[in-house]
Amino acid sequence: MFEPLPTLPVPPELRAMFPEGGLVRGRTVLCSGDAAVVMALRVVSSATQAGSWLGIVGVHNVGVQAASEHGVALQRVVFVQPASSRTEWVSTVAAAADGFDVLMLEVPHGITASDARRVQTRIQARRNALVLIGATQQSASQSVFQPDVIMNTATTQWHGIERGAGHVQGRDVQVAVSGRRVPKARQHSLHFVG
Amino acid sequence: MNTESTRVAVVACPDWQAVAAQCDLHARGQVFNAVAVLHAQRVIARTAAAAEQGVQVGMRKREAQAACPNMHIAAHNPERDRLLFEPVVHAIAELVPLVEVSMPGIVVLATRGPSRYVGGDEALAHRLTVIAETALQKLAQGQRIPFGVGIADGRLTAMIAARSAASVRAPRVVAPNESAQCLAVLPVSVLADFAEIDRSVVSLLQRLGLAHLGNIAEIQPSILVGRFGPVGNEMQRLAQGLDRHPPIVVAPPPERASTHRFDVPVEDVNVVVLTAREVADQLVLHLGNHGASCVRLHISLHTDHGEQNDRVWYQPEGLTAAAMAERMRWQMDAWITGRGVTSGVVLFRLSPIGLRAREGRQLGLWGDSTQADEWASRAIERLTNMLGAESVRVPEWRGGRDPAEVFALTSAAVVDVERRALSQVTAEAEWNGALPTPSPSVVYDDPLLVLVCDADGNDVTVSGRHELSAEPTVVVLQQQRYNVLSWAGPWPVEERWWDTSRQRRMVRMQFVVSRNDTAITTRALVVVREHGQWWVVARFG
Repeated sequence: MFEPLPTLPVPPELRAMFPEGGLVRGRTVLCSGDAAVVMALRVVSSATQAGSWLGIVGVHNVGVQAASEHGVALQRVVFVQPASSRTEWVSTVAAAADGFDVLMLEVPHGITASDARRVQTRIQARRNALVLIGATQQSASQSVFQPDVIMNTATTQWHGIERGAGHVQGRDVQVAVSGRRVPKARQHSLHFVG
Repeated sequence: MNTESTRVAVVACPDWQAVAAQCDLHARGQVFNAVAVLHAQRVIARTAAAAEQGVQVGMRKREAQAACPNMHIAAHNPERDRLLFEPVVHAIAELVPLVEVSMPGIVVLATRGPSRYVGGDEALAHRLTVIAETALQKLAQGQRIPFGVGIADGRLTAMIAARSAASVRAPRVVAPNESAQCLAVLPVSVLADFAEIDRSVVSLLQRLGLAHLGNIAEIQPSILVGRFGPVGNEMQRLAQGLDRHPPIVVAPPPERASTHRFDVPVEDVNVVVLTAREVADQLVLHLGNHGASCVRLHISLHTDHGEQNDRVWYQPEGLTAAAMAERMRWQMDAWITGRGVTSGVVLFRLSPIGLRAREGRQLGLWGDSTQADEWASRAIERLTNMLGAESVRVPEWRGGRDPAEVFALTSAAVVDVERRALSQVTAEAEWNGALPTPSPSVVYDDPLLVLVCDADGNDVTVSGRHELSAEPTVVVLQQQRYNVLSWAGPWPVEERWWDTSRQRRMVRMQFVVSRNDTAITTRALVVVREHGQWWVVARFG
C-alpha cells in the first residue's frame, strides 16, 4: 500500500521543493510569479531529457532558445495552439494528454472549474504530469485548477547588469512552495542562469 | 549473372558530421583542425586530425578530450549536416540527374545510364571524383576534405569500396559479379558500420565464431533465420552482395495516391509540403493494403517554367507519410537555396521505387524509438487533424541574431518525429552579434511599443555612433510607468546592409525595471530601437 509514487525526475536543485523528490504523475504543479516561465521550464527539463515528451499547449511566446538553455530536450517538445473556444480547449488538452507525458499549460480566460476538473481527472487517469503557468501572483488563489504544488516565484536580485554595463547573467529567485500536497509551506532561494 | 542487385556508385565523405561542424565553424572565423561531434555522450564522428591523435568513434567525452585536449566538441545537428552537404549533391546532380541521398555525407546513384554516357565505370568514377573534389574544396575554402568514390554491385559493397577509396585517395571500382568475393574476407563488423545492422547482433556473430562475411554467406539461410529471425535472412543477402531486402512488386499506386497537380502555381513551401503529406497518406495506405512499405522514394517536382527536380530518398526501415513529407521539405529547401527554381510548383509525384514487405516495427530496448515516441507521434497526428497543421509545431534550429529567429517552429505533421527524437535539437555555436546568453524565456511574436525617457521626460535616442542621448530612467509600457534600475547596451545590429529592401539597422538593450508602487517586483526586458521607436521584443519571464 505504501509503494513509492511514480515520479518523473526534476533537476537536483529543485528536488527539495517536491515532497516526493520529483514530479508525481497525475498531479498538478502551478508556477506563478515573475519567474513563472523559467521555473516551469526548469521543472520539466530533466523529464524531457529522460525520454518524456513535453506538450506545450496554449502557452504564448515561450523562448525556445531559453528552453534549450534550461535543459529542455527540444527534440521531444511539441507546441500546440488550441482553438479559442472553451470546449475545444478541453478536448485539445485531453488529446495532448494521450500522447505527451508532461503537459505545460497556460489557462485561458473563461475556463470554468468544471472544465478544469475534467482536465485534471484526465491527467490523473493517464498518469501525466501537469505544469501550469500562472501569469500573476494572485492567480494561485483564483486558479480554477486545484494545484497539488504551488510554486510562487519572486525575483529578488538580477546579476551581471549595471547602470550602462554588463548584461543579464542570472537572477536570485525566492520560491514559496505551498499547496495541498505540501505538508509545510516553505521558502526556497534559488539561483537561475537567465 | 546476378540480376537482383543493381550496380551503384557511392560518393562518401567519412565522418561527415564532424567535417560539416568544422566547415560551419570555419565560416564563422573559428578554425579548428580537430573537431568531434557528440551524440548521447559518445563521439559519433571526428575529423582526420582528431583521429590521428587517437579519438575514436564511440568514446566518451572525457576520454576524447583526454586524447586530444585542443579539440572542439560540437553537438550533433542533422540539419547542419544536410544543408552543408547540399552543394556536393547539387554538383553531382549536374552530371546524373537522379541521385539518392540516404544520409548526409553519402550520395548513391545507379551507374547503368551514367556509365554508358561517360564511357565505362572507371571513367564515371574519375568524373565523380573530380566533381566531388571541386565542390568540397569550395566548401572548405581550400582545405582537403577526405572523400571516396566506389562502384560495385549492391549498396554495401559500393559503400565499403568508397570508404577504402577515401583512405587511398583514389576511386575504387569492383568488377561486376565480384562483390561477393570482395565481401567474403571482410569482418562482420562492416554490417553494423555500413548496413545499419544492430551492433548486438554483430557481436553475437563474432561470439559464434563467424568472423567474416564469407562465413555467413556459406551458411544455409534457414539456419540463420532460425537463430536470428528476419535479420538472419537480411544478413545473408548482404553477405552475398545483394540488397538487404528482397525487392517486391505491388500494383502501381493509383494516380491520386502518387501525383498531385496544383490548379495554380504554388510558391509557398508549406503548402506544397502539406499537400505532399496528404498524398503520402494515400500512398502509404495503398502500399499498406498490399503489405508493403516504401524504402526508396523518388520525388519529382515540376514548376510552371518547366524546371524539374528529381531525387531519391532511402530509409531502410521504411518511410512513413510524415517522413515522406519531410523529405519533400528537404528537397524543396535544397532546390530553393540552390536557386534552381524561378516559379511556383505545378506538379509533384511521389514514386515508390523500392519496396519491402511490411513486418511492423520492433521497438528497441535501448537507444531506439520508445513507446513514448510512438504515442507522441500518434497524438501529433490526432492534434493535427483536430486543429490543422499550423497549430501543432516542433522547434527547429535555424540560426540568427534575434532571440525570435534562432529556432523556427515547423509543422509537426511534416516531421518524422520518432526518428527525430533519437537525435538532438540544440543551438549551434553562437552567432556573432547575437545577444549574450542566457536567453530571455519569453519572446514576443509581436513586439510591444514602449517609451524610454530620461530624467527630464524626453525620449532617449541613439546617435549614429550608437551612443545614448541620456541615461534612461523611466519606461512606459502599456500605460504603466516603470523605473529603470539598470541597463546594458546599446548593442548595434546591422543585417543585410547590402540589400536595400531587406536591410535592418537597430540597436538592442537590456533593461531591469521596477514598478513605481511596488519596488519589490522587478523585470528584465530586451528592448530594441528600430525606425526611431523602442520595442520590447523579449522578457526574462
